[in-house]
Amino acid sequence: MAKDYKFEVGEKIYHQTCITCHGESGVTSEDLNFVVRPRNLSKTILTQEQTYEVIKEGGHYWGSYSDMMPAFKYVYDEYQLRAVAYYISLKFNKGLEKKAEELYAHSDKISKKQEPKMLKRGKKIYNRNCRWCHGLNAKGDGEATRNPDKSIFPYDLTRTLLTNKQMFLYAKYGGKFWGTDKDDMPSWSKKYDDFTLKSVIKYIDVTFRKDKKIKIKSNFKP
Amino acid sequence: MRNILLTLLVSVSLFGTDHIVDQKNKTFIPHSITAKVGDTITFKNSDPFAHNAYTDNEANEFDIGMQAPGEDKTVRLKAKAKFNVECAIHPNMLLEVTVH
Repeated sequence: MAKDYKFEVGEKIYHQTCITCHGESGVTSEDLNFVVRPRNLSKTILTQEQTYEVIKEGGHYWGSYSDMMPAFKYVYDEYQLRAVAYYISLKFNKGLEKKAEELYAHSDKISKKQEPKMLKRGKKIYNRNCRWCHGLNAKGDGEATRNPDKSIFPYDLTRTLLTNKQMFLYAKYGGKFWGTDKDDMPSWSKKYDDFTLKSVIKYIDVTFRKDKKIKIKSNFKP
Repeated sequence: MRNILLTLLVSVSLFGTDHIVDQKNKTFIPHSITAKVGDTITFKNSDPFAHNAYTDNEANEFDIGMQAPGEDKTVRLKAKAKFNVECAIHPNMLLEVTVH
């Protein structure tokens, strides 16, 4: 069997650098004490391309509250960065992109009749449920983040690299399902149907992300 | 034991009974209450993070807004109805209220 040089480069860098926080199997050791534990890489919804972007620019650039996940573009070259994303994709979350697509394919479709109602519905639900954490302008600075214990770190949705489909799946199944340690981003599937959740995502996209369309090469397009 | 606890949680005010509902571990405690028109519900927050109790029940509609840890907020029950109170931040929280 031919050697996969890219995989080997990625594996070497992962073991030199990433393993400290993300662990050998993509899961952070219970012995390490983080305020926000690193994403479980065996559950992440990110595609290989998106993973590369996060490794390159760091988490904060893509809407994370902290810069715990630093930008490695100053440390490694383009090939090395892509090799790490390739390694993670093959080693830890192979098939997850397909799983996400399947979950989306099984969600309720929006009919032509429903489309005109989406923004109104999305706005209502965003203002009722989402803004407390994500903020009035989706910047991740909602009132709930001002708790004395500073334990909530919502994403800046104007900067996230998630596609609309991925954001819908995130809202539907919750953060824990997709590898976050805590369930601060809960699953909203018991409370709202797919139409409502898709409406919220559409409202976020149209209202807060209109000036920043993320161009990510992926089969899983917005 | 549960009855004793519930009794302790319910205090009588001049204008009706004040039903104490705590919010702890992302749960309403107790999960359900039975009240009369004119009674009040005082929501406590024993969690280290914020809550936002609300109901869309037309006759008793309220939204207490952001409730910081340790803060109390009180609402008055206006009409006979059976409805749910939810938290806008934590979707699994549910309180059943019956007003006679």
